[in-house]
Amino acid sequence: MLTFEQIKELIELVRERQLLGVEIERSGFRLKIDGRPAEAVTVVAGDTKPEARTAVSPGPPAVTSTGGSDAQAVEEAAAVAEAELAGVHVLRSPIVGTFYTSPSPDAEPYVRAGDRVKRGQVLCIVEAMKLMNEIESDEDGVIEKAFPKNAQPVEFGEPLFAIVPD
Amino acid sequence: MFEKVLIANRGEIALRVIQACRELEVATVAVHSTADADSLHVTYADEAVCIGPPASSDSYLNVSSIVAAAEITGADAVHPGYGFLAENAAFAEVLAECNLKWIGPSPGSIRLMGDKAKARQTAADAGVPVLPGSREPLADGTAAERAAKDVGYPVILKAVAGGGGRGMRIVRDADELENQFNTASEEALKAFGDGSIYLERYLVEPRHIEFQVLGDRHGKIVHLGERECSIQRRHQKLIEEAPSPVLTPLLRDQMGAAAVRLAEVVGYENAGTVEFLLDHDGRFYFMEMNTRIQVEHPVTEMVTGQDLVKWQIRLAAGERLSLPDSVPVRGHAIECRINAEDPRRFTPSPGRIESFHQPGGPGIRVDTHVYGGYFIPPYYDSLVAKLVAYGENREEAIVRMERALEFFVVEGVETSIPLHQRIMRDARFRSGNISTRFMERFLESSGDRPRVEA
Repeated sequence: MLTFEQIKELIELVRERQLLGVEIERSGFRLKIDGRPAEAVTVVAGDTKPEARTAVSPGPPAVTSTGGSDAQAVEEAAAVAEAELAGVHVLRSPIVGTFYTSPSPDAEPYVRAGDRVKRGQVLCIVEAMKLMNEIESDEDGVIEKAFPKNAQPVEFGEPLFAIVPD
Repeated sequence: MFEKVLIANRGEIALRVIQACRELEVATVAVHSTADADSLHVTYADEAVCIGPPASSDSYLNVSSIVAAAEITGADAVHPGYGFLAENAAFAEVLAECNLKWIGPSPGSIRLMGDKAKARQTAADAGVPVLPGSREPLADGTAAERAAKDVGYPVILKAVAGGGGRGMRIVRDADELENQFNTASEEALKAFGDGSIYLERYLVEPRHIEFQVLGDRHGKIVHLGERECSIQRRHQKLIEEAPSPVLTPLLRDQMGAAAVRLAEVVGYENAGTVEFLLDHDGRFYFMEMNTRIQVEHPVTEMVTGQDLVKWQIRLAAGERLSLPDSVPVRGHAIECRINAEDPRRFTPSPGRIESFHQPGGPGIRVDTHVYGGYFIPPYYDSLVAKLVAYGENREEAIVRMERALEFFVVEGVETSIPLHQRIMRDARFRSGNISTRFMERFLESSGDRPRVEA
């Protein structure tokens, strides 16, 4: 398993040394960091259709991973690493619980990608022990993406949102 | 049997519990602070949840975080290890409310034994000898004399408000008592603003002897023999052994029966330890009961062949205690607590372990969570490894321990290995003629005066 820190270091390495790329294979997953600026393609586990994902800023290394559940964790860590390296602020969960995008199952989500938010604005709920904890933004800026899916369990420090600060 | 156990702890005990769960084919969830993300217990658990920043109060003592972690992972039981929340009755109750099984005794037992005064009273009511004492402050020298006559000499006068040796006087006979009482009272008044004094029987060379008990849901209680933990520095155990080199079969039966009786009276379930002080004249007195698995449980495991942590899990899952009333004890086991600390000043020595090679071979067991390259965080205790040596008798256990200590490589941090080596070579230790005053004397005589803590 690669840690978040290690992935971040690898991406920085690719960028600084202007490498064509780095490929790492471990039991359970394969990680590829492509140094050539391009649209990034993300693939998770052989069968899933590739999703197009726009690059965060010009020419960052593109990260792909293939494999099983380890691959998913690595991919998430890679996404966060890319965000932080591009100067995007990552809001992390202050508590353990279940992530919800909206105040109740039928309601509209608190925020969507592209929304402008202010410091103190509620972005999501993390629920634990039947208590709905409102998680507030700690930055003024624009929501770039949410990392967890709705109803996904999150731990302390887990990345919740990428926010492009004003 | 449980499907999934969450271990609400860290370090070597978390790993220990994971091992027991693995053998029982129970899935495991590790919880950890951000400082412990690279910990072995996190690596080996089936799932891991980060529950907070480094500080214990925000992580390993954070009840809501741990309960939330149990919720999101679908755990059905929680093992609290030792320390942290292991004897927190409120935590056990919260878990019960959330339909999580607590691997330990009932919250009621935890509370009762956690109140030292109530525990003492419960023991006395159960016919277990307790250290005689006045408990209430003494009005004057005359009241003191009366109390001392009841309690029996020698007695120790102690300040109700105090500690640190001030306001304490040892009195060996009635002639000195009134004078000593007045002096002690004045000293206490000056030091703590309260001159109240009480008294207790003074034990000349007490030995710390504790009995391991197990109890099931059906009221069956069994003891698995004793451990001697007299080698302590400032009430921190350094070396433990099983059996005690000094207990006669008669004394073992009496103390064991007392431990079982106390556990029965309380309706105790799961693992627990009843602690006694044994005086030089063979009289024993109840001190306290610990309602959790203890650090030194391996020595009992080595001499009985029983896996105490697996028993805890099995008993919590409702299994019957299928052990005989008299569990056979064979051979002798000694445990040295290897701490990451300066061997002379006893100050913690956190940092990166550059290289680590643990000893093996016949009769050696090492319980540890560290490895070469591991960074010992500064936020938690300094226990690095528990080194246990087993032999056919105490002499062989000591010889094996000496060999194992020599072959134990820990580089990059200071450890207490050199201290343990010196103790193993000590004639008094080797003779088995030890007491809780051993370390004090040992450090003085070897020229290492105990230093005042910074």
